[in-house]
Amino acid sequence: MQERYDAIVIGGGHNGLVCAAYLARAGLRVVVLERRDVLGGAAVTEEIVPGFRFSVASYVVSLLRPEIVRDLELPRHGLAILPLDGTFTPLEGDHLWRLNDHGRTVRELRRWSLTDAEAYEEYGILMAQMARFIKPILSAVPGDQGRIRPAEWVSLAPLARRFAGLPRRQRDTFIQLMTMSAADFLDQWFETDPLKATMAASGIIGTFQGVRSPGTAYVLLHHYMGEIDGAFRAWGIPRGGTGGVSLAIASAARAQGAEIRTEAPVAAIDVRGGRAVGVTLRSGETIEADAVLSSADPRVTFLDLLEPGVLDGQFAADVRRYRFRGSSGKVNLALDGLPEFTCLPGRGEHLRGAISFSPSVDYMERAYDDAKYGRFSRRPYIDAIIPTLVDPAMAPPGKHVMSCFVQYAPYHLADGGAWDDAHRQAFRDTVVDTLAERAPNIRDLIVGEQVLSPLDIEQRIGLSEGNIFQGELSLEQLFFNRPVPGWARYRTPVHGLWMCGSAAHPGGGLMGAPGRIAALEHLRSRSSR
Amino acid sequence: MSYDAIVAGGGHNGLVCAALLARAGRRVLVVERRERTGGILDGVVSTVGRLRPALVAELELERHGLELARPPIRMLALREGGAPVAFWADPGRTAEGLAAVSGADATAYPRFDAHVRVLARFLGELAEITPPRLDAGALGDWQAGLRLARAYRRLDSRSARELTRALPMAAADFVGEWFATDAVRAALAARGSLFTAMGPWSAGTTAVLLADSAGNDGGAAGQTAFATSGPAALAAAIESAATAAGATIRTRAEVARVLVRGGRVHGVALASGEEIEAPVVACGVDPKTVLTRWLDPEEAGPRLRWRAGNIRTPGATAVVDLRLSGPPAFSGVDDPQLLAGRIVVAPGIDHVERAFDCWKYGGLSERPYLEATISDGSMHVLAQWVPHDADPDAVGDLVVAELERHAPGIGSSVADRRVLTPALIERDFGLSGGHVYHAEPGLDQFFAWRPVLGLARYRLAVPGLYLCGSGAHPGGGVTGGPGQNAAREILAD
Ligand SMILES: Cc1cc2nc3c(=O)[nH]c(=O)nc-3n(C[C@H](O)[C@H](O)[C@H](O)COP(=O)(O)OP(=O)(O)OC[C@H]3O[C@@H](n4cnc5c(N)ncnc54)[C@H](O)[C@@H]3O)c2cc1C
Ligand SMILES: Cc1cc2nc3c(=O)[nH]c(=O)nc-3n(C[C@H](O)[C@H](O)[C@H](O)COP(=O)(O)OP(=O)(O)OC[C@H]3O[C@@H](n4cnc5c(N)ncnc54)[C@H](O)[C@@H]3O)c2cc1C
Repeated sequence: MQERYDAIVIGGGHNGLVCAAYLARAGLRVVVLERRDVLGGAAVTEEIVPGFRFSVASYVVSLLRPEIVRDLELPRHGLAILPLDGTFTPLEGDHLWRLNDHGRTVRELRRWSLTDAEAYEEYGILMAQMARFIKPILSAVPGDQGRIRPAEWVSLAPLARRFAGLPRRQRDTFIQLMTMSAADFLDQWFETDPLKATMAASGIIGTFQGVRSPGTAYVLLHHYMGEIDGAFRAWGIPRGGTGGVSLAIASAARAQGAEIRTEAPVAAIDVRGGRAVGVTLRSGETIEADAVLSSADPRVTFLDLLEPGVLDGQFAADVRRYRFRGSSGKVNLALDGLPEFTCLPGRGEHLRGAISFSPSVDYMERAYDDAKYGRFSRRPYIDAIIPTLVDPAMAPPGKHVMSCFVQYAPYHLADGGAWDDAHRQAFRDTVVDTLAERAPNIRDLIVGEQVLSPLDIEQRIGLSEGNIFQGELSLEQLFFNRPVPGWARYRTPVHGLWMCGSAAHPGGGLMGAPGRIAALEHLRSRSSR
Repeated sequence: MSYDAIVAGGGHNGLVCAALLARAGRRVLVVERRERTGGILDGVVSTVGRLRPALVAELELERHGLELARPPIRMLALREGGAPVAFWADPGRTAEGLAAVSGADATAYPRFDAHVRVLARFLGELAEITPPRLDAGALGDWQAGLRLARAYRRLDSRSARELTRALPMAAADFVGEWFATDAVRAALAARGSLFTAMGPWSAGTTAVLLADSAGNDGGAAGQTAFATSGPAALAAAIESAATAAGATIRTRAEVARVLVRGGRVHGVALASGEEIEAPVVACGVDPKTVLTRWLDPEEAGPRLRWRAGNIRTPGATAVVDLRLSGPPAFSGVDDPQLLAGRIVVAPGIDHVERAFDCWKYGGLSERPYLEATISDGSMHVLAQWVPHDADPDAVGDLVVAELERHAPGIGSSVADRRVLTPALIERDFGLSGGHVYHAEPGLDQFFAWRPVLGLARYRLAVPGLYLCGSGAHPGGGVTGGPGQNAAREILAD
């Protein structure tokens, strides 16, 4: 059976699906090939414990590009984002609780510090302004800084002009956000330790950095990014888990005529005369196409799927040095009831938002120190949510699921250690102990669980070294350096082979941007041929 | 006597600025708090190889008594349980020695050295320009932009890409891409952490590392040049160049305030109450001091005071001077020539990082990262990372104990010692936080936003007020760069 397509998309993660949907919408004959039996990649919902459905990996949505939601009419294909209200930080004998209701948050902050309560408002306004400034970067195509031709810098020109036009204060803040550590940045504004720690936590998610590491401040913005897209609620949890997002995109892609195949692992990208001409599946089946767009990460795409020798040595070396260094794990719990926090008993609203185990900046930093030297944090940062409180269908009546994103769990363990069963068990126990310190009843509630080490994330989801963003989002791997300097424009040294996953600008997260921009760039290159 | 300009703070940058202004015919007064000029150069610094060659020529410093010595050895990296590794001025010779440690590292070294030189050359050119304005009026600032573009164009496209990638990297990652041996990595990366509050795993330490080799012949091993009669001789030479050009130097005169009248600088007020008038005041002290203490809060305004108060000045370097009764004997060192450069105790990346970790939580590591030089029977040791108000005796003991591991018996040959902790540096030299670079050289206080965005062009808040010390671009170290750039801008106005 020989079929010919205009384009093959490798990987049915949300970016691959977005890419396919845009290509199909433009009239291309597209097939998506997904290795697993389920779609979604890291945005996937699975029934791990009978009756309990988990957002196995990613668990909240904040960055999904509104233009994608609009262009693909995702709500019509079943996408619904349910509100996730507030962030609750349990402490020993006290708590810090911020809500979407600004007035209540400010009242709560006054309990801690009058100046912080005042600064919080000003801070929020400034951050929303910054998010507005940054947004266009998320849909820009990076140039090549290795060439002096003005054309290469055109991608920066509008940005530079807008930057120059910003009020002094915002220019200042932008530079600080791009260069400072989250902790240093927040130190300028606030004095309440749990507040700074909880806010700074967003800066280290998915990175191998600590809250005091320079370059982590930028991610503070992400939290505000979702909130500025007014009409569509862009911050919350998707109905049916994050797999719900992927399924909606898949449905939109199919409606445009894209074909989607699961259990179709690609074994090789076929290259003839320096051009990608199709793929060979592990089953031996070959599929031909004018172009191949890969949403798998660069290690998989370039080092596993291409014959050695296809790439020039320099490019291959640059791919090899691209840093993954996964640092996160996930513990998904099936619960018989709701956890009860000693510091704020009851089943109130505080359980309906994010529950952040981030009591102090030093706590966060020590968690990082453990990972630096190759062990999981003895007391980790945990970002937990209980999706069943807003989407009860995820578990049998009266039961709950709790999703715990845990940092740090380094992929590379010290002293040649490996993520074997014993390590995974010890990691699980550490997480449950940390939860139980604040909510002692949790131990008795657990009726089922799923523990993912970074190695599990690599093996199950297919993300190299378990890096949740398909490669670290550190300054040197952003924009025109992502994933390889000189190759940030979705193209690769192999003609007809493109990148469309999180390893391309603007990077990871349930955003869809790389898939969309790659599709648009590919379409542009076809029409100019 | 009336002056055209007052230079407040007579560190080497202040002196450079004064000398250049005087040579341009301005009547200049240098006001220095201490009994001698030179600032940190006076008895604290050891190597002066970062000094701009063009400045040495322009100020004819050799005629004014400066003599530089460059030993063939740059750095001796002491190791744990292994012979020390020598880094020579000649990269080929270094590679020969590295072969005993790791063949792969020996092969990589000359290429790495060349790579560092290419990137550092660009930073050297960057150091010479006045950072461009980054606001809407910036179009008029084409000159800086043009120079920048020209320097950038001289890089081949691979290097240009590597530059943007390297600057924000952690030094540990930067060297990790080239070398396999932990000790070699650490020896080369540590310089990115020297005088900073950043361990080798902190993003941006590569920029510090490269800046150290910018505009000099340092390369991968870093510069090692001495003023033959001691660092103070350099200060004396610059001072001599300044006075020969007509500048006046006043020591033991502490500036307390900058005088402003009608929205313009009018002079300075000394702590004694005396007022000295001049339409231009160039400050060789740190920017936080100028903006939050010297300038009237009304003139600065609350917003600028807030920003200036947030300039990061986490001093973390201590200096320990040891007078030795006899030459030290380091294990594995038979040739005294090996001890003629910088002697570095940074035996592993994690080892150095752990010293930094302690400091993060306010502690003092048992195993500090050290850089030492030996001259005239004294050993001059820099220790990272030392808490601001650490007990000087404890720091001294710790440093000696660490040296004892590598040079058994050295402790008993210490005849005398002097310890300066960050708190003492702050007290003696009037530097906020005791930060020897006047402001942390982090990515957030770099180039066009050093010390803060909008004040990077040497002009501070009020017309007539300038910054000419290490808190300005291109930053700290004995370069003369900030002083020279500031003088150029003052003359241009
Ligand atoms: C534990 C965890 C928690 C996270 N939490 C959040 C969160 O809360 N919010 C958020 O915004 N982001 C989160 N993220 C990040 C986000 O989920 C990812 O960055 C994003 O989903 C990646 O999407 P992608 O389409 O680029 O790649 P992927 O989702 O990795 O998709 C790649 C797909 O390619 C397939 N594939 C690989 N190789 C082959 C092959 N040879 N043949 C065929 N198919 C192949 C894989 O099976 C996979 O389906 C999280 C990630 C993880 C792992
Ligand atoms: C221990 C140590 C070792 C070092 N080693 C090296 C090295 O080997 N190589 C290298 O390149 N760099 C080295 N440095 C860094 C380098 O010395 C400094 O970055 C540089 O000398 C700073 O020069 P400056 O002129 O900008 O300021 P400073 O030297 O700090 O001068 C500031 C001057 O202002 C004066 N002052 C302060 N307050 C007042 C006031 N109120 N009124 C009047 N005057 C005032 C001070 O007394 C001082 O003289 C070292 C620093 C230290 C502390």
